[in-house]
Amino acid sequence: MTLLTSFRNVTVALLLLVLAGCSVYTRQEGPAPVESRAPESTGPVEPGRPAPPPEPEEPLYPEATPAEPNVSAAYGPLLKKAEAAAAGGDYQQALALLERAQRVDPDSAEVYLALARTYAAKGDYSQARATAERGMLYCRNEIECAKLRVLTRSR
Amino acid sequence: MPMVKTRHLLLKLFFSALLVFALVLIYLDVRITATFTDKMWEVPAKVYARPLELFVGGRLAADDLAYELEVLGYRSTGNVRGPGQVNRRGNTFDIYTRGFDFPGERESARKVHLVLDGGRIRTLSGNGGDIDLMRLDPVQIGGIYPSHGEDRVLVRLDEVPDTMRLGLLAVEDQNFYRHWGFSLTGILRAAFSNLRSGSVVAGGSTITQQLVKNYYLSPERTYRRKINELLMAVLLDMHYSKDEILESYINEVYLGQEGPRAVHGLALAARHYFDTPIQQLGLHQQALLVGMIKGPSYYNPLRNPERAKKRRDLVLDVMVEQGVISAEHATVAKAMPLGVSTQQQRIRDTFPAYLDLVRRQLRQEYRDEDLTTLGLSIFTSFDPVLQRQVEKSASGVLKQVDKSDVLQSATVVTRFDTGEVVAVVGGRNARYAGFNRALDAERPAGSLLKPAVYLTALEQPRRYTLATVLSDTPLKVAGPDDSVWEPRNFDRQAHGDVLLHEALARSYNLATARLGMDIGIENVVDTLRRLGVEGRIPPVPALTLGAGAYTPMDMAAMYQSIAAGGFRMPLRSIRDIVDASGEPLRRYPLEYERTVSLQAMSLLHYALREVVREGTGRGVYRYLPEDFAVAGKTGTTNEGRDSWFAGFSGDLLAVTWVGRDDNAETGLTGSTGALKIWAHFMAEASQRSLAYRMPDQVAPYWIDNSNGYMTGKGCPNARMMPFIEGSEPAQRTDCSPRTNVVKDWFQTLFGGESP
Repeated sequence: MTLLTSFRNVTVALLLLVLAGCSVYTRQEGPAPVESRAPESTGPVEPGRPAPPPEPEEPLYPEATPAEPNVSAAYGPLLKKAEAAAAGGDYQQALALLERAQRVDPDSAEVYLALARTYAAKGDYSQARATAERGMLYCRNEIECAKLRVLTRSR
Repeated sequence: MPMVKTRHLLLKLFFSALLVFALVLIYLDVRITATFTDKMWEVPAKVYARPLELFVGGRLAADDLAYELEVLGYRSTGNVRGPGQVNRRGNTFDIYTRGFDFPGERESARKVHLVLDGGRIRTLSGNGGDIDLMRLDPVQIGGIYPSHGEDRVLVRLDEVPDTMRLGLLAVEDQNFYRHWGFSLTGILRAAFSNLRSGSVVAGGSTITQQLVKNYYLSPERTYRRKINELLMAVLLDMHYSKDEILESYINEVYLGQEGPRAVHGLALAARHYFDTPIQQLGLHQQALLVGMIKGPSYYNPLRNPERAKKRRDLVLDVMVEQGVISAEHATVAKAMPLGVSTQQQRIRDTFPAYLDLVRRQLRQEYRDEDLTTLGLSIFTSFDPVLQRQVEKSASGVLKQVDKSDVLQSATVVTRFDTGEVVAVVGGRNARYAGFNRALDAERPAGSLLKPAVYLTALEQPRRYTLATVLSDTPLKVAGPDDSVWEPRNFDRQAHGDVLLHEALARSYNLATARLGMDIGIENVVDTLRRLGVEGRIPPVPALTLGAGAYTPMDMAAMYQSIAAGGFRMPLRSIRDIVDASGEPLRRYPLEYERTVSLQAMSLLHYALREVVREGTGRGVYRYLPEDFAVAGKTGTTNEGRDSWFAGFSGDLLAVTWVGRDDNAETGLTGSTGALKIWAHFMAEASQRSLAYRMPDQVAPYWIDNSNGYMTGKGCPNARMMPFIEGSEPAQRTDCSPRTNVVKDWFQTLFGGESP
């Protein structure tokens, strides 16, 4: 199950990498980046007349940072414990464990998904929706995003 | 007859005396039974920092780990044998953790091997093999003390090492388990020496009597007080078990002074003198503490080491004599140095600004008396490593920009994913518990409020987009009493037609004021409220340029919502509160509330990233690596009285203010003052580049930056920017008019819902 998921993740990640080459909004081509910073000696840089607008130097939306190495191994056991706690009806404990997992990896859509599901199971739909919506700022592939999207409609 | 009268009188006197005695007894008895149990558990709340989480792959610099262990009081040794010890060899650490009872979970003490590599944990293993996840014990950063300043750490009797307990009895009260609260031989001996000297000099007190004295009686030595003490000791002995009395004594006994606070109890003394929990004291340390009871300042090992050592060795001899330890053990212990921590840990209460925040949050829900007596444990999100860094950045930069030493600064740092405040600097001298500027300095916010104006506009995608043309030209707004508000740009120029994103990135006042007037000041106020600004917000046109009075914490609340992507969450400093017996009392859960449009917020992020790439905040990349994405906003008030910077990376939000307490001019702008502190801090502390996924219903297009028309890639002035679906400009340049097939295809595949 986990193996399958990670295989899927890797495949999607690879696909993304390949596609990134043709993507228009993750990469800037054309002239070399223009040095746009004021030289050190010009003093205050509070509004002065700008230089001609340069090409944006960074991609519009940076590619999602790759998942932190090994981090899911660190928070994985917490998710399992939280799941067990929630199954036993102890939502307080489940949420406390998930918040710890979130501190370990604050950018993990998987943790957001677990948080949103726990809120939904607890019957707190507004928190479930908000958490899923926020998780969608971090999902790394369409499968993750789709799962969260479902929860953004919790009621 | 007179004889009878006299006898009658004597009888009367006798009964009266008996009655008085009985009343006194009852009074003392009530006093003891009513208060003894309370006194036993009267403990100030303890405030803890966040525990450091350790896992393979986790980011951690070797020096930061070393600092954390240092503030925790871990001792460097060549061979790690017991809890609280560490051995560092470059990037390799062997740590014997102390373990800790966290709310809901216990972390046991264990020996771990940890290797860091390139700022990450590469290896983490213990006796049982690799460790997935663990945490160190949390640093205690302070306590909530009553006004008379008494600190205590309670222990249960069974937590006290046996040798220490028995040693204490051997030295202070050998008949403790047999007597009735007082010792006749002791009293006789004392009375004899008192008779000889003509005054009360010797105590002859049992442990029970000493406890009564400490709890209930004033320190002067009179026969009347002595009798009171005796009676109460007997009563105490009747009501409570010997173990309860001994436990109370161990937690109450006076062992010296730590600045303004008295050190009471063996457990606190263990931490104070040895930086070690009482359970982990060596025999030589146990003996020293037991010996010090006789005269805590006379035998103070820091001031009178030789006297203290003599006393300690004497205690060891008594322990051998009473069969507590063997002579061999005593010999080994005598050969040990005093073992006092020479470098006195001053970590507690050295973060006054953060503790101030914690106290204020606590006082909304708890009475002062409860905080100082209930023995609560308060777990906060304080991060000593980040605090140290932000203090370093602030003092370093201030030293550089302010030779005259008059500038003050304040910074609030949060982890915006959880809304937790992790560090607070309240002034230039971060150790000084004075005016906490982070929470109390109310200043105009300058351009820091502008994002609220632009967000209000972007939430109406039919009217405003990043490519909307704004007019940066002079305007006059009539105010009350014939006053006229006539804002100006920082450079005193008008810039004519500018696109909306550029007006924010370059912080144009005229364009912003016009935009604010167009969308309505009341709507800007509403947006500020939705972003989490509490307090008073003046609904005047100048609000668009920062009018009002806001603390750095107010601005942190506002930018927290922006950094989180449009979710408001209360700024938290407290995670959990646990009562004296370890039961969770209160948890402060993470709560998100989406209060603004995610799509509009995503566009605002684009503009705030432009601020630091091309606009007024460019200076940050003198400190940060070129490929590290951050977003932020500068703020400057009239004549440079206030210099602000608020911004975020992928993990941290920081708001920094620089100014003077007398509100005089500083000669600084947002970018020459606060920005430098902010950027210096972020470059050292932030671990993640800003990287949000583009939300659903937002798509990027090529725009001609001179007029806001749709254009093609590679066309003149072409610049890519995001639009909320359906709001992209209708007009097109002549250049490359074809639609972007690649993008549509890419989006259908990965970008979310198909239209």
